[in-house]
Amino acid sequence: MSLLRRSETSPAVKAVDGDPAAARFSDQLIAALPRLRRFARGLTGSVVEADDLVQAACERALARRDQFQEGTRFDSWMFRIVQTIWIDQIRARAVRKEEAEAPEALLRTDEPVRRVEARLTLDEVRRAVERLPPDQRAALLLVTVEGLSYKEAAKVVQVPVGTIMSRLARARIALQLQLEAGGGLRRSRKNVEAQ
Amino acid sequence: MSRPSDDRLVAYLDGEITGAERREIEAWLESEPDARSRLAALAESAELLREAYADVLREAVPDRLIAAARGTTLGPQTGARRSAAWRVAARAGRSRWWVALPIAASLCGFVAGGGATYFGILHGLAPGLGAEAASGAGATTAQNLWLDNAAGDFKLFASTGDKALIDVPASGDSREALQKISQTLTQQVRLPDLRPWGLNFQGARLLVVDGKPAAQLTYTTDNKAIGPLALIIGSTQQPDIRPTFDHRQGVNMLYWRHQGRAYVLVGQADAGYLWGIGNDVAWQLDAI
Repeated sequence: MSLLRRSETSPAVKAVDGDPAAARFSDQLIAALPRLRRFARGLTGSVVEADDLVQAACERALARRDQFQEGTRFDSWMFRIVQTIWIDQIRARAVRKEEAEAPEALLRTDEPVRRVEARLTLDEVRRAVERLPPDQRAALLLVTVEGLSYKEAAKVVQVPVGTIMSRLARARIALQLQLEAGGGLRRSRKNVEAQ
Repeated sequence: MSRPSDDRLVAYLDGEITGAERREIEAWLESEPDARSRLAALAESAELLREAYADVLREAVPDRLIAAARGTTLGPQTGARRSAAWRVAARAGRSRWWVALPIAASLCGFVAGGGATYFGILHGLAPGLGAEAASGAGATTAQNLWLDNAAGDFKLFASTGDKALIDVPASGDSREALQKISQTLTQQVRLPDLRPWGLNFQGARLLVVDGKPAAQLTYTTDNKAIGPLALIIGSTQQPDIRPTFDHRQGVNMLYWRHQGRAYVLVGQADAGYLWGIGNDVAWQLDAI
């Protein structure tokens, strides 16, 4: 039996079931989920919060399906919804993030040193991203991770291209400085040399 | 040229600066080794950033998100299960090395080469996936029979633990195996690269789907959460259907039809991984 057929049906899905356009819309949405999760993970720094955010974005997207303009980038439209909900959330409540796991606690004795170092470097990168101001974080993730152009990213966060440019530069430099200070870049180079 | 602003330098690195300004920045960098080093470090940190989030794309997507995208609410049976999205455009930067090979029309050579057993077993069974769209109990029964058979066949393969049930082993060069299997089919067969999932191609077998020969590609992995796994690619004249998850005889399967091809992914991996791998297969084979 289909996984989806086992699902309970809400009023929204009735439209999807009976409407090919709605079904296509849902297909697009499902196709975008991995990238939406990645974007949300970068924004929130948390697996659970990120999935909650993506779920909320899916619900909003379905509710506002008629606002999507065919021929425009669906992923950018969804990134905008995710980013908007996230901004609303952090404005509405003081987000108290738990301290990231200490690097020492991540060490597993049976792992080769190089792999441990690589993992620590990536953990450090994620922590550095979490320390960035929200607007810089969003710009960094949209452009550097999701590969949007400055113009596309500007549309997502609804600011001028110049603003994206300056946010991005500040974010990139801050990230680099944090990695230099924490040794992440040094470890990364060492790993490359070792390979 | 005076020193460009950080904004412009980062934009240069991101390929957002073109024309005369780009040339000016490049000329300036020629004379500024420290600036070149700094830009190199910026590029390196950007690469690390992409790497830091790359694994998210390979995670199983929770069922609740699939359901949310469909506008549904999960029932109690599926609340704890996870599922991956039907990903289309999420594989940026990943190379495709699948092999596309033309096909000969004859079946004779392969049957003589060792596929006869499976033809004997499977020939004449239900028209399989091709019948799903047809109305009536007969079609449903036929589909059930085929999927049951696919499940049983996979269990047999998985239980042997070796390559005894592989007609054309991938002995070093996967292209050779594909070439052999393609010579027996009336369609082009491509080999999806599932190594990023830890799945290694082991070889191919011949089955019959919808009364036509089909290729069963088998993969194994050390990751018990995922493998082993089989992908069956056959021909069909039935209309396309979207990927559908099923569970039979203790194994999971994901099946779909696209433009005259029927696909079934069979394995012990949970629904989440199966959706993710199926999505990868569809992307690589242009099967969506």
